Amino acid sequence: MDAGPVETGGVAAPLTRMGIAVLSLAGLFIAAYLLLHRLGVVGTLECGADGGCSVVQSSRWAVFLGIPVPAWGVGGYGLLFGTALAAVQPRLVGDRRVAAALFGLSAFAFAFSLYLTALEAFVIHAWCRWCLASAGIATAIFLLSLPEIRRLRRG
Amino acid sequence: MGRRNRSGASKGGGLRPFYLVLALVAVVGIAALGYAVVGGGRGAVLEPIEVEGLDDPRTLVAKAEGVAVGDPSAPAKLLIFNDFQCPACGNFAAQVTPFLKAELVDAGKLYLVYHDFPLVQIHRHAFIAARAARCAGEQGKYWEFYSALFGQQDRWSSRPRAPLDDFEDYAAAAGLDREAFGACLRSDRYADVVTANMQLGRQLGVDGTPTLILNGRRVRNWQGYADLKRLIEGEAGG
Repeated sequence: MDAGPVETGGVAAPLTRMGIAVLSLAGLFIAAYLLLHRLGVVGTLECGADGGCSVVQSSRWAVFLGIPVPAWGVGGYGLLFGTALAAVQPRLVGDRRVAAALFGLSAFAFAFSLYLTALEAFVIHAWCRWCLASAGIATAIFLLSLPEIRRLRRG
Repeated sequence: MGRRNRSGASKGGGLRPFYLVLALVAVVGIAALGYAVVGGGRGAVLEPIEVEGLDDPRTLVAKAEGVAVGDPSAPAKLLIFNDFQCPACGNFAAQVTPFLKAELVDAGKLYLVYHDFPLVQIHRHAFIAARAARCAGEQGKYWEFYSALFGQQDRWSSRPRAPLDDFEDYAAAAGLDREAFGACLRSDRYADVVTANMQLGRQLGVDGTPTLILNGRRVRNWQGYADLKRLIEGEAGG
């Protein structure tokens, strides 16, 4: 699962962590787009009329604990991006706390995406392609974070 | 590859390609967001929106305005729930509506009210088509645009993306101010009205199109214009 490391001046930065950083940055922009739509800054979601993004976004499930779901996405991807960026720095590559934070955040993002996708499928009965894209990114990030378990065990 | 770098390598130098990829993603993301806000922002609303207050029947009826023709005091009132992308509605528009207008509406026997009921789950352009017709109605050309939409239904229905350019062409051909029509089309105007129409239809039990409701009763199993005319004239007292 773990890809080869990149030498960074003394300590190798795992490619999986770089992948997480890149994917979480992409996810951050998708979540930001959905948030802008939610706030009325962007008038339409360019994802095809049969995408159902507006249906999903205007449903009562589009708010979680009083905060719009896209705002959770922006926060979550932002945290993931920051953590992954830190995790590739030479002095933090071997830090168990960083590995734990990366895996924990990835697992939470994956579980939350599963929950949202299940809502789309079984409750809202509408699909938002941007939401599905975000779910795909969260899944990929989770898979890339699995090597962190080994790093945690290794200590 | 070892986990220790050879000595003398510049600190962080191996991360340069990674930072370049991040920068590329950031540039693309910021450009896309910027385009969405400045260029594509407030574009054509293609889907139903959230409309507050539709749970209240009075608000719903006020918001779910239909497009009417005829004398409101006519003895027969026919509501038609219509989907511009529905082939059966196209047949109705060609084979029934002109005769209803000419023989019953103009004679003062019938008040005809069209309501939008775009079947958005199966007709991806039906919602924007309903909004487009409303935009044409702003310039007093609802029925001209209605005819154009049904006349060209096969063409615009098959478009992979929202057929905004097609609609602007039809509007111009029907004598509308293309710019004003386009501004209306590429906005959220009437998205609330069409959404309210859909809600009204659902509350009345509409589950397909065209659905006809004559003086409060749903018309089922009617066989062509002659049959419908007989039913309407029965309501109108002959």
